[in-house]
Amino acid sequence: MLLIGRQAQRTCQGVTRRAFLQVGGSTVLGLSLADLLGRPGGARAYAAGSARSVILLWLWGGPAQLDTWDPKPNAPLEFRGPFTPIATRVPGTRIGELFPQIADVADSFSILRSLHTTSNDHGVAGTVGLTGSDTGAVNLGGAAQSGGVRPATGSVVARARGFRNPLPPFMVVGGRLHQGKRAIVGEGGGPLGALYDPFRLEYDPVHGTRIPALQLAPGLTPERLTDRRRLMQALDGAQRQGELLHAARAIDDHRAHAFALLTSPAARRMFDLTQERPELLDRYGRTRFGQSCALARRLVEHGVPFVQVNWSDHVEAEEDSGDGGWDHHYRNFQIMQDRHAPWLDQAFSALMTDLRQRGLLETTLVVAIGEFGRSPRINDKAGRDHWEHCYSALIAGGGVRGGRVVGESDRHAERPHERPLTPADLAATIHHAVGITSEQSATLGVGVNGRVIGELF
Amino acid sequence: MKRALLLLLAALAAAPLAPGQPPVQPVRVTHDNRDFLQHLCWSPDGSRFLVTRIHAGKMGLWTVGLDGKDWKRLLPENEQPHFDGHWSPDGKKIVFVYDRLQGTDGKLQIDVMNADGSGKQNLVPHVNAFDESPRWSPDGKEVAWVSTRTKNQEIHVVGADGKNMRRLTGDPAADNNPAWSPDGKRLAFCSGRAGNFEIYTMNADGSDVRRLTRHPKMDYWPAWSPDGKRIAFTSNRDGNYEIYVMDADGGGVRNLTNHPAQDNYATWSPDGRRLAFISNRAGGYNIYLMDVK
Repeated sequence: MLLIGRQAQRTCQGVTRRAFLQVGGSTVLGLSLADLLGRPGGARAYAAGSARSVILLWLWGGPAQLDTWDPKPNAPLEFRGPFTPIATRVPGTRIGELFPQIADVADSFSILRSLHTTSNDHGVAGTVGLTGSDTGAVNLGGAAQSGGVRPATGSVVARARGFRNPLPPFMVVGGRLHQGKRAIVGEGGGPLGALYDPFRLEYDPVHGTRIPALQLAPGLTPERLTDRRRLMQALDGAQRQGELLHAARAIDDHRAHAFALLTSPAARRMFDLTQERPELLDRYGRTRFGQSCALARRLVEHGVPFVQVNWSDHVEAEEDSGDGGWDHHYRNFQIMQDRHAPWLDQAFSALMTDLRQRGLLETTLVVAIGEFGRSPRINDKAGRDHWEHCYSALIAGGGVRGGRVVGESDRHAERPHERPLTPADLAATIHHAVGITSEQSATLGVGVNGRVIGELF
Repeated sequence: MKRALLLLLAALAAAPLAPGQPPVQPVRVTHDNRDFLQHLCWSPDGSRFLVTRIHAGKMGLWTVGLDGKDWKRLLPENEQPHFDGHWSPDGKKIVFVYDRLQGTDGKLQIDVMNADGSGKQNLVPHVNAFDESPRWSPDGKEVAWVSTRTKNQEIHVVGADGKNMRRLTGDPAADNNPAWSPDGKRLAFCSGRAGNFEIYTMNADGSDVRRLTRHPKMDYWPAWSPDGKRIAFTSNRDGNYEIYVMDADGGGVRNLTNHPAQDNYATWSPDGRRLAFISNRAGGYNIYLMDVK
């Protein structure tokens, strides 16, 4: 095996890129040669479902189900907390009072109230949430679950859809997901290979949209990206067999093409949120998450099949560029009412309205979810701890009917009471919505051990 | 006609505040759409605001002039997150929350620094609890703050020298946002003891708790007027965060802002004629000023 290298470089655009290309006896960037030589761009087309695109709003850290979509006003104070439920546009459906704007678009989405997962570790539950499986997940202590990590749902959709659009089929807005100092696994292509890793964009209010990273071949600086001769020289230098060289060329054709496109003036206009009406951007909220949601809408409008918006890079509340994740072991209620709830309320409701007004909601599946919920019993720091046994999510568009509540939790939102649901069920539902059949999943080797949540359609 | 009205409103919003001339309606002070602002506090001499600002990915304390200019970061950019500052009565010190990041958690503690950001030192050490909402007493001798050090979110008081800590509240529900009355005899605070956040007052020793608001929605962030006759607060009782004012006994509740955006964190001018608050009514979070009759 030849480890060619890693590089980091700052360009005149202020873009830092890292390169990592590993050339082994049988794999390149984790792809089998058969996969590589099959060229995804030439893969056969798969039947499309109602959802042309997916936007996954990843609420990293785990929002509290009782303070968001599953309030329990009749529970004792030490469970229900200080917030009261409010009515929504859907008769009989109530959510937490901190989300009045989401309540006002409740006919656009459905609520899943009986999700449960297998771990209360952010890393493991994060992998489960993103892939539908805990195999290969790594916990806070660094221990890995047995088996190989499965591809992220975004990568599966990318693999099924292929590179039909000049834009990458799986894009993430936000930094890599971390637990502590460790990046979690499951945010990429896994066995599908690095070709199906997401292309990452980052938005921050000061700098706007940035392209933070790009995998490059060794010896290939960003300035030489489109210089194919130098790329081939770099690979020739590795003295690999011709078949392997061809495979690597396939990868870098896509990467270089995508990069060239992403850095083109046309793409920059697409990423430039100042192209939007200021009033619309105001509706999303002038926060990192709000503007990232606006950017996600622009991406699906331009045909990107799967866009994941990461609320934060880290789970902790006070870290991570000042915004912080949803891991509210302390000050849960203060942080919720000051920041997280108003920001999510504004961004999600604006996204629903914007997609609907543009006629995109029917073809765009939107999911807002974290890796788990939070403990129903309030801890001694006015916070809620990790809770894998029961949590909630919002799901909308892409063929999903609005105004429904699927599943029910028990009286304290501690366990599912009816219709228990798993992240694998949600992954299967996303597959279904975008038109990936179980046969296709099997053919691609990307099946999940879950069932489609049929009540949503 | 409509265009003329819009132009007039725009001109009003953009007009600088003339000294001694109170605004007729909320006037926008700052003009930065990019940063999140919270925890507003007017300086005792009336010349500046102290505010928590998330700027370029860093949460910290800043001051800014009443004209919205001259932003000053108090602690260096590489400092760990810090927030929710409060001026000492003489304007020379600021007490605030400092978040020491350790492992995967933040360790909140109460620190004090000079008003120019120098001389930072710890007032209330971290003790496996969180500490927040520090508020200087009007005589400058004590600081009220909120802590979970007794395994519940309660209001405590400590001497300005860090000694003589004592707990004022003892209800199983969360108590938060202490605000001293101008004479230092009572504190207003918010509490979830009635099932949702309401405004209460109590004596400075924790006795004689009186409930001021009665509404199923949240009432919080009380701010006592300098003459002690009124209390401003935030409420979502009309569906979104607004600034309200009431008499100090809870009567005469009025919505001062009446705007569909988030209006929050009211602070009184030292002369009691104006309130400043933070709103996202123009998109981003900015400081606004309004007259209070």
